[in-house]
Amino acid sequence: MSPLRQEQNITCCLSQNFINLTNIRGMKKNLLHREKLLQLMRISLAQIILAGLFAGMGYAHPAFSQKVLLQKLSLNLEDKKLCEVLFLIEKKADVRFSYLPKQIEADRKVSIQAEDESLEKILDRVFKKTPIRYEVFGSKQILLSKTPLERYEQQQDLESLPKIQPIIIQKPDFRVQGTVTDNTGEPMVGASVVLEGTTQGAITDANGKYTLDLADDARNGTLIFSFVGYTTLRVAIDGRATVNVVLEEGKVLDEVVVVGYGTQKKSSLTGAVSSVSQKDLKALPVISLTQAIQGRVPGVSITNNSSPGADPIVRIRGIGSISLNPNPLFVIDGVPAGGLNNIDPKDIESLEVLKDASAASIYGSRAANGVVLITTKKGSVGKIKVNLDSYYGVQSAWKTLDLLNRDEYIRYGTALLTASNQPVPGRFSNLNTPVYEGASTTFAQTDTDWQDVMFRSAPIMDHQLSISGGNDVSRVYTSLGYFSQDGIMPVTDYQRQSFRINSDHKVAKWLTLGQTLLVATDKRRAERDGGGRSLIMNTMRMTPYWPVRDPTKIGGFSTTAQGLDATDPENPLRIAEQEQQDQINYGVKLLGTFFTEVKFTNWLKYRFVAGADFANSQFTSFLPIYNDGNRSRVIASLSENRNEFFSTVFTNQLTFDKSFGNHNVNVIAVAEKQDAKSESISASGQRPDNNIKVLQGVSNPNGSSSLSENSLISYVGRLTYDYAGKYLLGASIRRDGSSKFAPGRKWGIFPSASVGWRISEESFMKSITAITSLKLRASIGQTGYNAIGDYDWQPLISANNTIYPFGNTTTNLGSYFNRLGNTGLSWEETTMSNIGFDLSLSQGRFDISAEYYKRKTDGLLLSVPLPESLGFSSSPLANVGSMQNTGFELALGYNHRSADFNWSLTGTFDMVRNKVLSLATPNATINSGNNADFGGFDITRTQAGQPIQSFYGWQVDGIFQSAAEVAAANALGNDNAPYQNASTSAGDIRFKDLNGDGKIDGSDRTFLGSYLPKFSYGLNWGGTYKNFDFAVYIQGVNGNKIYNGVKVIGQGMLRLFNASTDVLDAWTPQNTDTDVPRAVSGDPNQNTRTSDRFIEDGSYLRIKNISIGYTFSSEGLKDVTNNVISRVRVYVSSQNLLTFTKYTGFDPEVASRGNNLLTNGIDYGQYPQARTVLFGINLGFN
Amino acid sequence: MKKIAFLTSIMILGLTLSCNDEVLNKVNPNGVTLDTYFNNDAELTAGVNAVYALVQHNGLVSREWFFTHDLRGDEMATGGGQLEAPRAQLLNGVNDAGNSVSNAVFTGWFRVIHRANVVIEAGAAAKPTISEAVRTRVVGEAKFLRAWAYYELGTLWGGVPIYTEYAKSVDGSKARSSQQDVYNVVISDLKAAETALPATYTAANLGRATKHAAQMLLARTYLQLGDYNNAKTELQKIVSSGLFKLVDNYLDLTNEEGEFNAESIFEVVYAPSGGAYNWGGDGDGTAVQEETVRTQEYSAVGWRNLIPSNKILNDYERASKGDAKDDPRYDMSYWKPGDKFNNGNSTMTDDRVQGNASVVDGKTVKISWRKYSVLYKIDNGFYTSGINMRIMRYADVLLMLAECENEAGNSAAAIALMNQVRARASVQMPPYPTSNYPCNNKDEILRALQHERFVELAAEQVRNFDILRWRKHKKLKSEPISFFVANKHELLPLPQTEIDNNPNIEQKDQNPGY
Repeated sequence: MSPLRQEQNITCCLSQNFINLTNIRGMKKNLLHREKLLQLMRISLAQIILAGLFAGMGYAHPAFSQKVLLQKLSLNLEDKKLCEVLFLIEKKADVRFSYLPKQIEADRKVSIQAEDESLEKILDRVFKKTPIRYEVFGSKQILLSKTPLERYEQQQDLESLPKIQPIIIQKPDFRVQGTVTDNTGEPMVGASVVLEGTTQGAITDANGKYTLDLADDARNGTLIFSFVGYTTLRVAIDGRATVNVVLEEGKVLDEVVVVGYGTQKKSSLTGAVSSVSQKDLKALPVISLTQAIQGRVPGVSITNNSSPGADPIVRIRGIGSISLNPNPLFVIDGVPAGGLNNIDPKDIESLEVLKDASAASIYGSRAANGVVLITTKKGSVGKIKVNLDSYYGVQSAWKTLDLLNRDEYIRYGTALLTASNQPVPGRFSNLNTPVYEGASTTFAQTDTDWQDVMFRSAPIMDHQLSISGGNDVSRVYTSLGYFSQDGIMPVTDYQRQSFRINSDHKVAKWLTLGQTLLVATDKRRAERDGGGRSLIMNTMRMTPYWPVRDPTKIGGFSTTAQGLDATDPENPLRIAEQEQQDQINYGVKLLGTFFTEVKFTNWLKYRFVAGADFANSQFTSFLPIYNDGNRSRVIASLSENRNEFFSTVFTNQLTFDKSFGNHNVNVIAVAEKQDAKSESISASGQRPDNNIKVLQGVSNPNGSSSLSENSLISYVGRLTYDYAGKYLLGASIRRDGSSKFAPGRKWGIFPSASVGWRISEESFMKSITAITSLKLRASIGQTGYNAIGDYDWQPLISANNTIYPFGNTTTNLGSYFNRLGNTGLSWEETTMSNIGFDLSLSQGRFDISAEYYKRKTDGLLLSVPLPESLGFSSSPLANVGSMQNTGFELALGYNHRSADFNWSLTGTFDMVRNKVLSLATPNATINSGNNADFGGFDITRTQAGQPIQSFYGWQVDGIFQSAAEVAAANALGNDNAPYQNASTSAGDIRFKDLNGDGKIDGSDRTFLGSYLPKFSYGLNWGGTYKNFDFAVYIQGVNGNKIYNGVKVIGQGMLRLFNASTDVLDAWTPQNTDTDVPRAVSGDPNQNTRTSDRFIEDGSYLRIKNISIGYTFSSEGLKDVTNNVISRVRVYVSSQNLLTFTKYTGFDPEVASRGNNLLTNGIDYGQYPQARTVLFGINLGFN
Repeated sequence: MKKIAFLTSIMILGLTLSCNDEVLNKVNPNGVTLDTYFNNDAELTAGVNAVYALVQHNGLVSREWFFTHDLRGDEMATGGGQLEAPRAQLLNGVNDAGNSVSNAVFTGWFRVIHRANVVIEAGAAAKPTISEAVRTRVVGEAKFLRAWAYYELGTLWGGVPIYTEYAKSVDGSKARSSQQDVYNVVISDLKAAETALPATYTAANLGRATKHAAQMLLARTYLQLGDYNNAKTELQKIVSSGLFKLVDNYLDLTNEEGEFNAESIFEVVYAPSGGAYNWGGDGDGTAVQEETVRTQEYSAVGWRNLIPSNKILNDYERASKGDAKDDPRYDMSYWKPGDKFNNGNSTMTDDRVQGNASVVDGKTVKISWRKYSVLYKIDNGFYTSGINMRIMRYADVLLMLAECENEAGNSAAAIALMNQVRARASVQMPPYPTSNYPCNNKDEILRALQHERFVELAAEQVRNFDILRWRKHKKLKSEPISFFVANKHELLPLPQTEIDNNPNIEQKDQNPGY
């Protein structure tokens, strides 16, 4: 205890000042209630990062201060004022509290009983259910405040606060005393007063008073007054005996958002930027962070695709390209890079989506489809923290279809073939034969459920060990992760191992160095087609009376005999075990940066970043010799492809940031260069046996390689300006030079401008107490997109790139020229305007953010549709066509806090409308989706005036119920041509004659809807109840259409294959009340042609995640684990537990088969999403 | 000082690394540019090799080409539901301008023309770096291939756009010309090729177009035009060259072992590649995948997309119909139940044969094509093969010459030529006239000749051309195609994409009836 602390007056001081507090500053209105709520919001991010999700612990404590907090003491106080309690604690323990009495409600009565308890625990109890947090700073000072330390602008100075030493002055010459108050007159408790140049000083008492006994030579000295969060004040003593000071509140750091090339305060942001917190990213058992943000960011659409390890389809604010994959630009720690699957979501500190042009145009020629900024974790200051996060779960198919069993199949097959005058398969009447030679079971005894064979329970697990720590010079974060997921269909899986180390070092006051590094490897086995058909399709079509395996065949699988069974499905398990087993993708990824930041002055910084992205991918394939009795491979086929990608980026950045009175100016200037090089090599060969799975001793060997390089040089400038935090202005410009375009076309300029008005800062708004903050924003800007090949403008001879076997020798090579270049090729150019507002009501209880935008893309890159007769095999790309997306986005938040039950609810909603404005020619159409197994007609059409890739086909007009109806229809036209075709019979579908010419042909097709949702939404409810925590996360889309190819497989009846039970309801003269047409093999009426018969509502609402966790109290743990484990949280979680949809296929989340363009929303039997149930544990070690 | 030095070096480093605009000039390293290529014998030869390679690709002779001809003749019937829709449409005459099969052929031939034009232009003028012999031959080959393309296009689609130079920009497309103009290009190209090309090649170059291939194609062109005199002249050149004769074994005409035999005039070459087939694009790439799917598509065991029509099966001379003997070519052209295949190790049973049955001689039986079927030596229906497609063979020369002689009124010469074909060692059919095929007049000889061509050249992509020219020149007693609608089915529709994308062709320029 300081010997200078003499006053023992512990009469607290709050009540008399309280009245004066109101209306002194707008900020302080209704202070107590409101601050509490703000506090809840503010602490959420930091707290969660520090203490882990739903840790159930009230307050964060920088670990290096544990010693201060671990002091044990006993108290027995009944109904005492808080300030008295604090004073008593100061007396018993070696601590000093700093606080504003009014803020912590120092007059509040508390009771506390403690018997040899840690200070930490006592403080936990005292401030439980209040917004006040306690944090240790300096050597033994504890700040009691609603605002976390890290949010104070001068937090870096905390460590350099003067150390006050006990002064031993034999004979004090004179005494200085006084009061330290804030500008409301509120006394400041725990403020420090130090004589400049010495360690002599004092700490203000519970009334804000201090007393200093000084030597004579200090009469002309200077006192330094400081308090965390307030501006430090120097006052000359000038021989005075009383020095009273008023400290001005310093700036509290605003919530900061990562924008391109820097950060910006959320309050002064003028662009549309959405942040996703770490909490959201780690909440789901997913392989990549893109999957985790599904439904969390309005305007970002994410559709999961295919088996484990497949990238989901990510679209920001609609679709911006037709011929290119309109992927957003991902910038990871400042490096534009791909390979998101390699990044452990738990390593992500924050993810920002730059949605409008004013935010994104800083990335110029690559930003037209949005930008996603990913920032990985940094080390934390303080004691080393070790965390282990693990989960293990099981996935399963959440839905199967009703398919025919053996007897139904035989009945159906008989009807189908008889109707087309084909013989009934011989097997049907001869099932009492063994399923293979020597088998003990017969076909009659076999009834295989192929869905049962092909769907399995599959494990998923994830483990991550992370270490974080540091001091005021160096900070390090490192982690080691392992993720493994098996698919719900056989022989599909994905594994990832990742290692990360990030560090930064404050070498000098003016110099910071740092690095990030990711090293990851992964392995994937994907589902494979059999005969061009998906695993699902082969599963649905496989004959029920057929055995799963057949040991008499080479390879162990058999399939039907074409003559005897009159069908030739692929055994799906053979595909899995023989085609998938040894077709493996391996990847190695290194992604790292080195950065230097030099502070010339407080307002001018230089930053240099060197980044490198290295990715090596390898695909090995071994396809074995087999013979299933119908198909076979007589010679094993091997191939190996390797691709090496290396990209470097160098960024030089100057940042100027200075305030001139109320004018706050921030300017950045950037010069940047990125080079990328991609090399690939592939080799293949054949082997006469299945013994060796590498390219050794092969026949028919082949090898080839390719090299591709590109460079981008960029100059970027950005100005942000605000006047008094009220009027906001932003402007940026980027000039990009790309090697992908012809000379004269290489350079492009991408400007943007934005304005904002924080209405709530205006004086006339102060009286509207319901509105806490309100900001209006508007922006406009241009971005480009250049995801074309590196050399697309250049025409080229493909030298020696084909073979013709003169004299039956395969060594005669040929050279050809099959594509014109286009020296006029340029960027797709997007202009986007955005208006929005951010509103916070009732002291932050409600938050609303809304945006409306218009996004127009000109110069769409399309392949010029060339006449066939020109003879070029591939068309040059040209900038023709335009497209528009307009949209509305809404994000809502609500927070609830009570004694035991705290929760928050956030909702997102967005709608976007896409329209193609023009294509290469006014009447041009781009058709897609044609597949002979699905009717053989195009399924989507892209045409000006319609949304991209709208479904296009015929409309069903019912079923012909009699031959007379068919005849009547045939009589409609003038030319004696049949209405549909000559084979149309009763029971066939009648299509609508839209042009009324009495016959059905191509001109009777129409647009049948779009795969794009009318709107999509997400709802996230999470919170804590005592030691329990919970999260419910719902995601959905509404109003989208799916072309249900699974229904074509199930009830299309194109040929004899197994089918869904729908076919049992096929039209017959006795069963006329049905929408399933007659069963006839060959589909002579083309009932399966693209029509609204197969268009279904794709809306779904999905409980994406539901989880409940429990955190064990830390005290108990420390005792039990001998102080090793500080935190244990266990949880159970389920992904896709419930899905509400009318869609009748396997899964409504239908992306695009093979990631093809223009076939989104067509379900060709894609790999369905799984339902997962898992158990997890988070451990924190001391 | 230290600080300033450090800063300066960092900034200099940073700016040096980022500010060299030269890096934006990158040239594709994976190929060469047009102006630096075709400068020596090897490069010019590679240019024409690529034209052959295109003729061979999936869109042409490996697949769609034979389908288009076979589906439009009367030799074929559907194997069943497995025949894909666009093929079934052609077979039933309900194909439209969107038909993917005929459109692929249209597109394929124009790509052949483009590649040939590149070679013809590159080899147009003498260059010191190119030997004159190679230049002459390569340009001759390119002209032969271009002529073949225009012959097919002109015959199947009528007057198509004519390009004798490749398009230098995307707007270089042309309007339709007349069918006669197309044939004029064919004739002039073939005359040039006839002069430029050698009569024979070394073993390593077998498969290149010869002088006689040019003559035979010229004869075929004249026959399409009804010009029997000029056709006869060309055909006689082939006969008098003495290079060709009928081979003994009829099976050798469509199996792998009989490739490049004495009867062969022009073949599209396929080489065994371990089952590798290039389904996509233009068949390019350096992987060895030089097989054809002909055997797989029609395979008795397997897809069996097309089977012989009842009409052709019943056209063979047969003792039961009163002919002197069963025509041995029937057994050598079709697989029937009980046939041994796979070198005699497997037996054809109905269990293994999917799809429709035929009615032959009043009996219902599953019959499948044997020509080009590799089942004779393996037991695998899903197998591509290296069997060369015989585009031109000597028996056809003799039969065409017979037709010319008949038209000229030289009955004896015509009958003798036909009997030469019937006398093949493995066939040994009694000479015309026979009881069912009397040859007393021009008409009767023509009828015998049409029968003889039908069975001798069955499934060899000749029948469609024969029907087209006989129909046009009124040599048919009755229309052989059941769905035939006059003023429509003579020609195939231009692909809709050609009409949509060619600014010089409008919808009204489409062939009649589509």
